[in-house]
Amino acid sequence: MGRVRVHAPQDLVAGASLLAVSLFALWAASPLDAGRLSTPGPGLLPRVLAVMLGGVGVWLIVLSLFRPGESLGRWPVRGPLFIALSVVAFALTIRTPGLVVAGPASILVAGAASPETRWRELAIFAVAVTAGCVALFRTLLHLPIPILVIPGWVVL
Amino acid sequence: MSTLVSNLELGFSVAFTFHNLGLCFLGCLVGTLIGVLPGIGPIATITMLLPVTFGLPPVGALIMLAGIYYGAQYGGSTTAILVNIPGEVTSVVTTIDGHQMAKQGRAGAALGIAALGSFFAGCVATLMIAGLAVPLTRVALLFGPSEYAALMTAGLAFAVVLARGSILKSIAMVLLGLLLSTVGQDLETGVDRMTFGVASLSDGIDFAVLAMGLFGFAEVMRNLTVDQARDVVHAKIGRLLPSKAELRQSAGPVVRGTLLGAILGILPGNGAVLGPFASYALEKKIARDPRRFGRGAIEGVAGPESANNAGAQTSFIPLLTLGIPPNAVMALMVGAMTIHGIVPGPLVMTRNPGLFWGVIASMWLGNLMLLVINLPLIGAWVRLLKVPYRLMYPAIVIVCCVGIYSVNNLPEDVLLTAVVALFGYAATKVGFESAPLLLGFVLGRLLEENLRRAMAISRGDLAIFIHRPVSAWLLFTGLVVLVVAVLPSIRTRREQVFVEE
Repeated sequence: MGRVRVHAPQDLVAGASLLAVSLFALWAASPLDAGRLSTPGPGLLPRVLAVMLGGVGVWLIVLSLFRPGESLGRWPVRGPLFIALSVVAFALTIRTPGLVVAGPASILVAGAASPETRWRELAIFAVAVTAGCVALFRTLLHLPIPILVIPGWVVL
Repeated sequence: MSTLVSNLELGFSVAFTFHNLGLCFLGCLVGTLIGVLPGIGPIATITMLLPVTFGLPPVGALIMLAGIYYGAQYGGSTTAILVNIPGEVTSVVTTIDGHQMAKQGRAGAALGIAALGSFFAGCVATLMIAGLAVPLTRVALLFGPSEYAALMTAGLAFAVVLARGSILKSIAMVLLGLLLSTVGQDLETGVDRMTFGVASLSDGIDFAVLAMGLFGFAEVMRNLTVDQARDVVHAKIGRLLPSKAELRQSAGPVVRGTLLGAILGILPGNGAVLGPFASYALEKKIARDPRRFGRGAIEGVAGPESANNAGAQTSFIPLLTLGIPPNAVMALMVGAMTIHGIVPGPLVMTRNPGLFWGVIASMWLGNLMLLVINLPLIGAWVRLLKVPYRLMYPAIVIVCCVGIYSVNNLPEDVLLTAVVALFGYAATKVGFESAPLLLGFVLGRLLEENLRRAMAISRGDLAIFIHRPVSAWLLFTGLVVLVVAVLPSIRTRREQVFVEE
């Protein structure tokens, strides 16, 4: 018997992640009462679903060892990372100091996601878009979005 | 028949107020505007604009959302024809012949026939919804928990089969969606489930968070990693109204496409995506000279575009009559209705007749407006398409952020969306599709509720699903669909259908 060769690395990773999610869900649902079929408790469906998910995961892993499939391909990090960071930047700054800071901050962080970004252009664009957002969401639609909040000084 | 007329009359009296007409117009306009931008499909568009409708009365909000939906759909076709980038699955087929026509300087005719065909389809579909609503609602009232559970299971089976990737992976995504829907407070016992003590999770994961993460941000992440070489047509747009010969050529495809699309759209589990593919295949098959297809045949635009629009509308039927959303867009409608305190289902029609028929009447009006808005504005859309992606995506990100924040005014929601987006991006990288997950998530709570009720009625006897004929028949259909889909011969055909990405 030689080494087991993986024929479909993509499916192997997919299956393994499903299995991991399934085990995690089983652990997370373990304190919940499953009840009986006649009186199902809160834990029944999560457990059944987790087991089924794990089953599909195992099946994918097994198939990946025999059936040819796709390779994992390239995993560019820059784009997804900076987009996620840009969203995080927005979440951290929206309450204080508000949209006036959160807007440009998240747009500029997002800019780092693409190699084509021209920074001066983006800086001007960021100010314009933020102004547009304030006009649309606050002035026009009256949504309670904090515009500029500096504790003890301004609340807009 | 007379009740149909009086119902529609009621509907038009609601839709024809100044306020509602304005909202319908605004929805169509904004929907098209955002739908035209490549890389944002109807799901992201609606999620983004959901907060816009918060301050409106329920009828107005739904009318506007429906307008946004058609607008986004129609905008997607414009992008497909002019740039060769399908906004979403349903306009994939339009790129084939539509973009060829555009390259030949006939973009105007392609856009024109797409608008005219969609309008015809919209008229037929509106009548169909109005006609089917009453009888289907009566059927729905006879449904018990076991029938509802079986119907949803069958719908999920359809969703698995109609998703593009591997069937096994689609099943996994549906299961994961169902599992995520169980996070939060248990409806019967009030116990917190899998919340890890996070207070904001005990209401469950917000649908908007999931939808925006998977279809807004993750889409941007994916677009950034592929080359954004865009092929905006430089040829002239040409005259917008198709010539007489072109109209004659398109008449048959439009009628056939409408019927196909309308019927497939009613299927639970997003049957609407099949419409354009089926219509294209049919037209190619019955054409006198099939070789013209792929080289700018107007039938290849007229049929699929009509099917697309008809399906988009008839997919409202399961939502309005049974309260079951057949696809992710309709799921957003559920979200919107719930925010406004309306529980979708068979009771809407009797309790809120004005709302029900008003929304249906506004569908027809919306289609008319699309026709009026789009033909003169095509020049503006072309200019919009020339905005480079490096400026477009930061704007998309910020508007999505504001949108998601405004749903509950919680920064935590925004953070969670970032996590969901990273997950969605990684999932597509290993071949998982997001659409089945979202549908599973949406149906999860309803499914669990009905399953538990059915179990309580039968005292834990699973045989209840087989003893009741309707539920047995529904489950059997779902099973057959799944089995047929994994049969080798069908599987290769299915792959061929979805091969044009």
